[in-house]
Amino acid sequence: MKVLNTDIKRVDGPDKVTGRAVYTHDVRLPGMVYARLVLHHTPRALVESIDVSAANEVPGVVATGVLHSEGEVLAYLGDDSALAWVAAETPEAAIEGARAVRRTLTDLQPTLVTPKQSQLPGAPQVSSRGNTSGESDDGNREQVLAAIEGADHRLEAEYELPIQHHVCLETHGHVVDYDGERATIYASTQAVSSLAGEFTRLLDLPADRVRILTPVMGGGFGSKFGAGLEGAVVATIAKQLVRPVHLMLDRPQEFQMAGNRSGSKATARAGCNAEGRMVGLDLEVNRYGGMGAGSFPKPPYIYAPEQTSSVLRSVHTALDSNRAMRAPGHPQSSFVTESIVDELAAKAGVDSVAFRKLNLDDEVWHRHLDAVAEKIGWAQHPNRTGPGTPDADGLAEGIGFGLATWRASGRPGYSAEVRISPDGSVTSSTAVQDLGTGSRTYVAAIVAEELGLTVADVTPRVGDSDLPPSIGSGGSITTGSMAPVIQVAAFEARRALENRLSEQLGQEPDSFVFADGKVTAPGIELTFREACAMLGSQPVTGQGKFKADLLGGGGRLHGAQAARVRVDTLTGRVELLHMAAIQDQGIPLNRLALRSQINGGMIGALSYGMLEERVMDPDLGLLLTHSMDNYKVAGTMEMPRMDVILDDDDPRHGVVGMAEAPAIPGHAAISNAIFNACGARLRSVPFTPDRVLAALAEKV
Amino acid sequence: MKSENRTGSPDERESLSRRSFLKGAGGAAAGSMFARGIAEAEQVAEAEPEQADAPTLEGNLEVTLQINGEDRVVQVEPRTTLLSALRHRLDPALTGAKQVCDNGNCGACTVMFDGRPVYSCMQLACLSEGKQITTVEGLGSPDAMSDVQAAFCEKDALMCGFCTPGFVVASTACLDRYSDADLDTIREQLAGNLCRCGTYPHIFEALESVRESRRAAGAMPEKTEEGQ
Repeated sequence: MKVLNTDIKRVDGPDKVTGRAVYTHDVRLPGMVYARLVLHHTPRALVESIDVSAANEVPGVVATGVLHSEGEVLAYLGDDSALAWVAAETPEAAIEGARAVRRTLTDLQPTLVTPKQSQLPGAPQVSSRGNTSGESDDGNREQVLAAIEGADHRLEAEYELPIQHHVCLETHGHVVDYDGERATIYASTQAVSSLAGEFTRLLDLPADRVRILTPVMGGGFGSKFGAGLEGAVVATIAKQLVRPVHLMLDRPQEFQMAGNRSGSKATARAGCNAEGRMVGLDLEVNRYGGMGAGSFPKPPYIYAPEQTSSVLRSVHTALDSNRAMRAPGHPQSSFVTESIVDELAAKAGVDSVAFRKLNLDDEVWHRHLDAVAEKIGWAQHPNRTGPGTPDADGLAEGIGFGLATWRASGRPGYSAEVRISPDGSVTSSTAVQDLGTGSRTYVAAIVAEELGLTVADVTPRVGDSDLPPSIGSGGSITTGSMAPVIQVAAFEARRALENRLSEQLGQEPDSFVFADGKVTAPGIELTFREACAMLGSQPVTGQGKFKADLLGGGGRLHGAQAARVRVDTLTGRVELLHMAAIQDQGIPLNRLALRSQINGGMIGALSYGMLEERVMDPDLGLLLTHSMDNYKVAGTMEMPRMDVILDDDDPRHGVVGMAEAPAIPGHAAISNAIFNACGARLRSVPFTPDRVLAALAEKV
Repeated sequence: MKSENRTGSPDERESLSRRSFLKGAGGAAAGSMFARGIAEAEQVAEAEPEQADAPTLEGNLEVTLQINGEDRVVQVEPRTTLLSALRHRLDPALTGAKQVCDNGNCGACTVMFDGRPVYSCMQLACLSEGKQITTVEGLGSPDAMSDVQAAFCEKDALMCGFCTPGFVVASTACLDRYSDADLDTIREQLAGNLCRCGTYPHIFEALESVRESRRAAGAMPEKTEEGQ
């Protein structure tokens, strides 16, 4: 391959670095109004009145609407908190109008924002399905507990993970340009094609009169699959005003109603024999997904204890539902599992890498552990079988590990079109959105590879629901679904060109070679442009449909990460020094974008591990972490040295997405590194100084 | 906003006090005034002293902003932030600077005032007259990118791209001021900007590559030590 599996610069880079890329937030249309939601800030409340009359008097306010009526009870903190909307000529007038909406509500007690509150006997029901739901019960618990009881080393521990937010830098929202007959919707979405269907219903228009445009979008991370309440409201306003309407959430609203990763609490029992073989694992897990089910893969997770049993359930609170977020459920499961493994290894006095291998039945992870262990300097590290002790200044260095997994897959049902024109121009079109993953770039690069061109020779057209339909981007499934389709479309377009050339040049269609910008056949050498000129006036096109055999067999993705930290045992501060990751991914399409994606996964997890936590006031029901001031995400000062290894020994000859996997184990590796440094076992995320000091105190 | 008149001459506006300003602009501005970020500390220090008889601004004001080397006349209200003026009041708008937190936390709206990075969400448009304002659009265009912009593309120092304009401006200011910036300096100078996709390692690489290529070209701007 000449184009693919190299470092390809993303094709929309120049537009993005110069501020020319137009995101949904940036869309400016003649006559456009700015709309804004008005939210209540406590979860459960009885609506007594919502009065928009003063808002209507605010200069610049164009229209208002009420979303809840008198006597209704708001059920939870989230989109159910939306009381009203205001549309105005300027954003400032919309803010002023929103402030002028008079509302009287009676807050209900208890607030039910914590699992503790919702599980108290006699607690009001969060929803009709009760305050717990979806319980699963797997394995023979009695037998597993007996095995653990008889083990040489036993562990019983409780682990907790907070609710995390996506914090997409571009908040959720749309600009709807509706003229009474048709609508163009600029959307910050992860699912261009399916969103068209949603707006067809919301606007009550025929499907051929609704078009979604998402040329670029400012991050989704799993939270942007549907129109949401903000989409329903903007559609309502657009229909009422028949003017373009811009409705984007503001940052506090984003924290309140735009999704989150569910929290969890796990009670673990586990045991291993003297050599380190895990004989039993029992987990009881509560998923904290608010009104939603939460997410947590069932054990066994990655590791293979001899026996496993588990009980998992959702414990509901009066908070907005969790949404998919970068490998839904996996970072939670990873933290619990990797902590158990690490704790048992220390109890058994076994090297924690060796302990892991003993309990892993897939050899790829053995190889991956070795790769990151070498990168992080494990062999030279003094404390490989148990924690170290701080130096005279109270500082201690440690190394920890964690593993990643995901499914390598793609789905049929989507398409692409490649068009070769007589002037030599080539376009590659599919509705697929580019979340920053680089899909626009491979939509061009795959075609360039097939036609012997450069990436710059192919114009990618993406992010438009009028183009051939694409899958939504979730679960690392976009690349596996779309890459084969694009490749087939390019192949078909090339065949069509070959057939036309063969008619004119008298060569067999199979005899043409496309390489280095040239089309050659025995005795013939044409530039690509010269060959295209022979098409006369008619372009050729190729349609791509899914071919499973281009997926390389799918199966499972693997990865491993290692972290080196320095713990200040006097202050509890943890400094990240170094992280290393290895990841398999079949055939890499774009090595540069892959490294970006793996860095991004590690950084997401380290931010989760070190800083992020939604905090609620249980008495008042207020969301206390409602801005980027008090909900911290990692910045430049938190960055360790980072090394990324692309696993080129993956034997699979197919293209799959891999973005979820590297987002899974980073925080678990950091937690294990903290323990390895000084013996402080962090069983609660994030690893803030207070928690580190508490864990150190527990150790003594 | 009821009246279209512009109250106060430019001189009077220069001497606006915070108290009289708040009286005129109401709560909207008060929120942002009190939520100043750390990066704003120096702006606070420069604030005019309180004056009991200072004028009050209200209604629509016509201001002339020097943006990317051009005088741009724009109608704003006293409460209009520089960010909002760029994004919503200019025609055509300059939407490179992004509104992400609107609270001085994230740096996505970073522009330069006389070569120094500032959060445009924390500046009032009506007090931005007389500054040389540089936005990401003023640093280069897709066909003629600055070395910093080109390095961001080369090193893939961007993913979704929403934080990128702010990082490009902050990075430009960093390297103009610290031509020999090491990694620690780069990290510190970019600490006021947040990225959610996780592009930091490649941003560091981009800045280091610009530093090296400027060094090799001998075209380093003079290292400046003045100021903070």
